[in-house]
Order: sequence, then structure tokens, then C-alpha cells
Amino acid sequence: MGDFGTEAWEIAGVELLSLTLEIDDRVMTSALPPALHPTIPPVAYFTVATYPDSPVGAFALAQVRLGCRAAALPRGFLLRAYSDSAAVCEALGQRWGYDCRLADVRLRRYHDRIEGTVALDGREVLRASLLDPQPISGSSIFYVSNVNLARGPEQGGRGVLVQVDPDYTFHRAERGAPELGTFDHASWSAAGIDPVWPVTATFVRCDTGFPRIRYVMDPNQLARTGTRKLR
Amino acid sequence: MKFGIFFELSVPRPWDRESERTVYERALEQTRLADELGFDQVWAVEHHFLEEYSHCPAPEIFLTACAMQTKKIRLGHGIVVCVPQINHPVRIAERAAVLDIISGGRLEMGTGRSATWTELGGFGASPDDTKKTWDEFVRCLPKMWTQERFSHKGTAFSMPPRAIIPKPYQKPHPPMWVAVTSPGTEIDGADRGLGWLGLTFGGLEEQEKRIAEYRRRIKVCEPVGEIVNDQVNTVNFLYCHQDDETGVNVGRRLQGTFGYMAAQLLSAREAYPTPSYPALGLLPQLRPDGDSPSDSVRVPEGLCIGNPDRIIEAVKKWESAGADRVNFLLNAMEVVPQSAVLASLRLFAKEVMPKFRESAKSRKTAAVKAAVLASGS
Repeated sequence: MGDFGTEAWEIAGVELLSLTLEIDDRVMTSALPPALHPTIPPVAYFTVATYPDSPVGAFALAQVRLGCRAAALPRGFLLRAYSDSAAVCEALGQRWGYDCRLADVRLRRYHDRIEGTVALDGREVLRASLLDPQPISGSSIFYVSNVNLARGPEQGGRGVLVQVDPDYTFHRAERGAPELGTFDHASWSAAGIDPVWPVTATFVRCDTGFPRIRYVMDPNQLARTGTRKLR
Repeated sequence: MKFGIFFELSVPRPWDRESERTVYERALEQTRLADELGFDQVWAVEHHFLEEYSHCPAPEIFLTACAMQTKKIRLGHGIVVCVPQINHPVRIAERAAVLDIISGGRLEMGTGRSATWTELGGFGASPDDTKKTWDEFVRCLPKMWTQERFSHKGTAFSMPPRAIIPKPYQKPHPPMWVAVTSPGTEIDGADRGLGWLGLTFGGLEEQEKRIAEYRRRIKVCEPVGEIVNDQVNTVNFLYCHQDDETGVNVGRRLQGTFGYMAAQLLSAREAYPTPSYPALGLLPQLRPDGDSPSDSVRVPEGLCIGNPDRIIEAVKKWESAGADRVNFLLNAMEVVPQSAVLASLRLFAKEVMPKFRESAKSRKTAAVKAAVLASGS
């Protein structure tokens, strides 16, 4: 992670599948850094997206995040991400603090479902589906911004929380029931993060991207006092 | 202008056997004092599963205790959740009637639908449906209270003819209100002849516009009940102290604590995309305007915190905006000591309340004079 001076990537025609599930609360305090507060009830977000273009080419990206609050603001704390592009893994890690690794990430649309999968060396580590998609208005959708824990020599090994808060312009939106077929905890740095109840799933076509970094936080201080504005 | 107190009954961790009992006992003491001091109403929320934020899932029981310990103060359901998975409408009507009877006709009936996934998801209720079930409930409740036999074939519930008893003490039935959080709900309320029970803090200019539209609509409403309640009831924080700086500082701590706790809940809109919930969460006015976690929880304008003079000015602004009543949240997470809460109530009653009793009297006198002049006598 460099000096947070990265330029934005603005990408049109992104397709994004997002599942929200309630999770067991037993590990929430230890799973989140002290800066962040778990939601009541705790939730996890499972997303798989395809980006048709970027400065390093087209790519797919999958993420697992924990719902949380940075002070009073809704956020998603990234546990881990996977992309099918080594260049994207490097760029997202270097520029936006993503813990992003190489995998086979796919997003498929069927008549009765939309399905995202992640496989590591041929072994499936995530299968997330939206069942029975029904059109809704994009104005009903609210996606929380990322908070990524960046660890690198620039941070002196202490780590820093990077807020990645893209805008979304929705062109199409659907909603359905979420189904989590496969979730390999170890592959997602998610020990003890056990989904216990489905909430919802959405699929959108939108313009979004990766904006310039505006805020970073000290993971060990409350976000209210430990936030630094960059621009 | 009428004044009331409003309870969420927040209980901070760590919890022990006495934690909740202490909060309830303190709230009852505040209610007894408010009654003695001439406050008009006490309201209690219905919330479920909102740990720390609100431990008040059975307001009818709390309000019953309030009724038994007071003489005049009116008792407000702020609100009853009109979602069939949480409350069957017949049980709402029955409980409300009993509370109205034992309180000697002091019930104010607030209705609403919950704004959090925490609650709706906990009861397996879909956020898509709550506006519809609320509408069905508020149209049925007055009939349950006034018809000898009630039957219904609906979407949320159906039932054969039954005598829903007892009937409320107030005739034809208690005043009905709707909780207004999402923009547009005040119009739903106006069209049905329901009072506006505001649950958002501040935003005077915006509220003034909405109140004006509410007034216009309710004049031509088709009431769901046998009476129209055209009152506008707002909610505010109260911390009144002779030293303005102390009052403002303690009041801001109270407001900030409340806003922070409200923000930790999972709102219906955040969890479950639906047009039924256009506003992001409970009490969105308390969320920061900015997008940095270091932004303070917003301090809305028109807060009733500070010395009596400052609070008089704030209440006047609400009066000018069109509000008929103000309900005060007195504490959050017990950040204000009980003795300070009681002192704040006493000071408000002594130095602020009379100003508005006087203005109400003078307005009434002026209205009578105008009527006499108009009649030419």
C-alpha cells in the first residue's frame, strides 16, 4: 500500500451479485478491529462482480465482508477478495488495500438464478446464488462502502483501514432469495463466521469503480477519533 | 403547545440483574414527576431485539404502570407495531381498550410498522409488506373498538364475526396517530385522519413544509376512525440547566449517545432493498451529513438543550413551524444521572412551560375577541 495517492478507476457496465446473510455473533468482536462496531444483528456480504474494462483489462472480483459501523456510518469490513487477474490483485492491493488473491472467479446467469463461484486450484471455495430474480428499482438498493485493512511496509506493519467508497449508477436491478452453497471459511480468512439466516440477494448492472482514497483509519482507535482525511 | 416525555428505555452494558429494573424504575419516577409538573403526555416505544438501544417490547405494561402511578398525564403508544407477525390486530385493540379503561380514558394510540431489519427479520416479516399491513390495521382498529361485532376479510388477516371486548373508555375511541419517519408517511397519516407522531429530530425548515402539506391534506381526509386527529407531535431531546454551557454540553452528550446507538442497528432499507423504506434507517436525521467516520453525529437545529432562554427559543421555532406538541427524550444509555434528569424536568416546568401556557391563553383570548368582532356584537 503506497501513499494513498491513487487515481480512480471508473468502470461502466459492471455486473454485481451481492448476498446478505445474518451470521453468528460469537466472533464478531474479535473479527472486527477495535475501530469498527458490529451491526445489530451481525451480517456478512458476499459479492461476485465482473468488470468489463479497467486500466489492466477486464476482470472478475469476489469479496466477503462483514457488516459494521465506522462510528455511525454503515461499512463492510473486507475479510478477503479473489480476482481472476493477477494484475488486478496487485493493483487493488497496492492502491486500495485489498487482500486480493488469484482464483477462478465466475458470474453466471441462468433463467432461475444468478450464481457466483470462486475456485482455488479447481476446488470450489464459494458458491453464492440469487434465486428467482425479480426486477426492482435501483433506487431501493443501498450498498455499503468497503473498509480494507492494508498491511504493508509503508504502514510499519501496523496496518491501516482504507475506506473505499465508490458511487453506483444503476441501470438494472433485481432481487431474490440468497443461497450460499459453498463457503470455505479458511479460504476467506473467516474462521467462526457462520451464516445463520438469509436476508436478501441483489443483482445489478451499474457504473461504478474504485475511487480516490479519501479517508483512512487507525484500526486500533475508535473511528470517530482515529480517522484521517486525505482529500 | 403541549409537552410530553418519550421513552426508549435504553439499557447500557454491562447488564446485571438490576440493570433493566433500574432503568424502568427511573422512568417511572420521571413519569410521576412529569405528571406532577403538568406535562401532558408520556409515550413509550415498542421495540424488539434492539439490545442496549431499547428494552421496551411491552409498552402496554409499562404504560399501565405509568397509569397506576399518575393522575392526569396521557399515555401514548409510541408506537404499536402494526405487523401481523408481531401483533395480531385484535390483541392490539383489546390491550389498548383495557389500558384506556384502567387509565380513565388517557390513551393516545400511536401506530407504525418498524424501521429495522433487526426487528422485522426477527419476526419473519417482509419489509415489502409493512406499509400494507399498517394500512389494513389502522382501518380495522376503530371498527373493532366501535362495532358490536367485527369481522374482516383482508390480506394481513381475516376473521369471522366476533365481539371484540372490552371497548375503550374514550368515546368513540382514543385519538390515533401514525409514526412519521419515512418521508411521505405524514401524507398517509393526513389522508386517513391520523395525528402526526414525528420520530425525527430537527430539520425545522423541512418539517415546516411537510407540516403545511399535512395540514392541507388532512382537511379533506377520509378518516379511518370516527374522529380526525389533526395534531402534529414532534420529538426532541431535553436537557435544561441554568448554566447554558452545561445544558448544551450534557444535552449534546445525550443526543450523540442516542444517535450513535441508533446507528448500530440494521435498518430495513440497508438490509433489504425495497421501495417500502425510502429512508435509511431509524432516525436518519441523526446520522452524519458527511461520509467520514470522524464526522460527528449531527446536532439538529431546534434542540431543546441549554438554559431556559435557549430552550424557549427552540420551542418557539417548533411552534412557528406548526407543531402542536413536543415530546422529550430525557436520557439515553443512562448518560445523564437521574438527579440531573429530574432537575432538568423541574427547571423546564418552572421557566419554560409557563411561557407557552401564557401564549396559548393569549391566542385563545385573541380568537374569542376576533369572533366577537366578526359577529358584530
